Amino acid sequence: MTTFTAEAYQNEYLPADGGEVNAVVTVTASGAASAITSTQAAEVIIVDVSGSMSHPHAKLTAATRATAVAIDCIRDGVMFGVIAGNDTATAVYPQEGGLVAASPQTRQDARQAVAQLQVTGGTAIGSWLALANELFAATPAAIRHAILLTDGRDEHETRTELEAVLADCEGNFQCDCRGVGTDWQVQELRRIATKLLGSVDIVAEPADLEADFQAMIERAMGKATGDVSLRLWTPQGATVAFLKQVAPTIEDLSDRANAVDTLTADYPTGAWGDESRDYHLCVHVQARAVGEEMLAGRIGLMVGGEAVSQALIRAIWTDDEQLSTRINREVAHYTGQAELADAIQEGLEARKRGDEHTATFKLGRAVQLAAAAGNSDTMKLLAGVVDVQDVHTGTVRLKPRVQDADEMALDTRSTKTVRVKKPGS
Amino acid sequence: MSRSETVLACGTCQATLLPGDRYCERCGTRVGTAPNEQTRAGRGCAACGAPVEAIGAERYCSLCGVRQRSPQDRQEIDLIVAAGVSDRGHVRRRNEDALHLQTVGERGVAVVICDGISSSLSADVAARRGADAAGAVLAEALRGEQAMLAEAMTSAVGAAQQAVLEVPWTSRCDRDVPSCTLVSAVCRNRELVIGWVGDSRAYWIAGEDSCQLTVDDSWAQEQVAAGLLSVQEAGADKRAHSITRWLGHDAPDEEPQILTLRPTEPGRLVLCSDGLWNYTPAAAGLAAQLDALPPGTAAITAAHSLADAALSAGGHDNITVAVLNMAPPGEG
Repeated sequence: MTTFTAEAYQNEYLPADGGEVNAVVTVTASGAASAITSTQAAEVIIVDVSGSMSHPHAKLTAATRATAVAIDCIRDGVMFGVIAGNDTATAVYPQEGGLVAASPQTRQDARQAVAQLQVTGGTAIGSWLALANELFAATPAAIRHAILLTDGRDEHETRTELEAVLADCEGNFQCDCRGVGTDWQVQELRRIATKLLGSVDIVAEPADLEADFQAMIERAMGKATGDVSLRLWTPQGATVAFLKQVAPTIEDLSDRANAVDTLTADYPTGAWGDESRDYHLCVHVQARAVGEEMLAGRIGLMVGGEAVSQALIRAIWTDDEQLSTRINREVAHYTGQAELADAIQEGLEARKRGDEHTATFKLGRAVQLAAAAGNSDTMKLLAGVVDVQDVHTGTVRLKPRVQDADEMALDTRSTKTVRVKKPGS
Repeated sequence: MSRSETVLACGTCQATLLPGDRYCERCGTRVGTAPNEQTRAGRGCAACGAPVEAIGAERYCSLCGVRQRSPQDRQEIDLIVAAGVSDRGHVRRRNEDALHLQTVGERGVAVVICDGISSSLSADVAARRGADAAGAVLAEALRGEQAMLAEAMTSAVGAAQQAVLEVPWTSRCDRDVPSCTLVSAVCRNRELVIGWVGDSRAYWIAGEDSCQLTVDDSWAQEQVAAGLLSVQEAGADKRAHSITRWLGHDAPDEEPQILTLRPTEPGRLVLCSDGLWNYTPAAAGLAAQLDALPPGTAAITAAHSLADAALSAGGHDNITVAVLNMAPPGEG
């Protein structure tokens, strides 16, 4: 049985006319490991078989090999299937469609089917997702997860067609997206991953696919509780400025709100294993008199329609400036991390437009923030696109020549955050 | 003031009380001792008016989120002729003021307010014990028909000092030993004796004759008395609230200042801690607040009204106020 706990970190004191309440809520799920075997799960692997996958041929070889490794990691009893995608989607295994329960025999059959894959045609990702959605619809599994691998742009359907499919799929399954090579678009895959509560990343070297697929499938197999939502209550007259997941990655959840009543909304968060995620909530409330206290928000977890744990976010008005000006460590940390992600994305965009001044300024700020937060992974990625002269002042020079893969890696991973270092740990 | 016009109710069973009743005829509750919570709680949200069902376990309104004050935040004692309330205020974590109020016989009233010094240890205990000790001495004097009320007041303050000294404490860094202020009144027929140590105050409120009776034992008062600063200048200084005399171990001199008076006109005696007078220091200001109430307003209503005013002005400190209605000589 998975247990969830929610804990709020905030400075609840506001100055006399203050109305902005910030809090970081850490949600931790534990005990999933023992619950996994009894949890019904379904897994669909979607492999791009468009013509470009054979340029170089190593991409297809790596993709089929990685898919085989992923299949081997699927636990006995988990319902699974493999889809090949180009202009249309084809069920590769089981060929007759639907999903089959994983066993030594079915895993071997699937591997053989994948090994036969041939490449041809274009890319219409919406059609692949639509087929996956159909396969998932036939299973009652609580955990429904897909892996999508592509190497190119979604060229053979319109943006509207893709959006329509995403709207159909939303809430039915989660999808982690991977781009292999550098001919795919970060924005496009990020859109799909965001909508389907998954991650997005670049696998620049086909040879690295195996390890990545293995990690992804293991993570998916570690989930024990599906369809977990955050339920947020805010008082009358308050507005939710934003609700973001801020760790392990930044995801703005604000647009995902499903209203429960006028004061309450649910935000889907997908499936959970043994893990911990941080959320940053910003609420604007009407200021009250000094000394008064208000419940500015209540974040609870909804698991299978039941509220399991909740954290209270308070506002207390004070004229003691020592109290009201204190900035909570967690809130400050993630405010910086969100600024870091924005600075990277805006800096890279400016660089693409040829606006070197903005690009230098934004990426310099990113270097400063990454250094201050001890985000060494992001720091390394930044060093791929700028020459760092001074981390403290954020003085950088744009590199005249940048590897596409370096830029795409920085872009896709810009939303990965580091957590607050707890004192004494 | 016409007493018969005021309808009084028992705090426990809501039965009608007659003026002078000391116990409720129906349920036997001693008048003024029942926590009169029904009148204040159970009303729903004080901020948005949501029904009482909307108030959750932690006293947050489930509609507007505003936290409701706890019933323990305000205590009241209503003895008809005299009444008092003590309120935690908005800011302080606990109430370190103490109010002792009791009537003896038909015409005797003893009231004591102690304000625990917030920088001291167990300030709330010191205030409580000080107020009760002084109150007990005054009540005994009234029962024993002691001729000299002024002497009784001196003994009462002495007893309060002794009680504060007996508050257990252990020396801890930068906290003062238990200590408190005291203001007290004892009244028999028309004789009124006021005693005080520190900056808790007594006022006589009677229209244009309203005046402050006590003279603060405070830094500000000393500056004003010495002609060094104006009342405004002294009040604006950081040290304005530093008191020069108090009850406790390190008290410089516990001899109270004592004042005896025999009011000839009807009026109200108001005793209060600085949590109240900080917002309305001048007697005229308090008089204006009380004059705004309808004629014949009960002492308890007057006390609530003064405390509410201090609370809505900020309630930075604990607020304690006692009101004693002094009827004209003909009635008294």
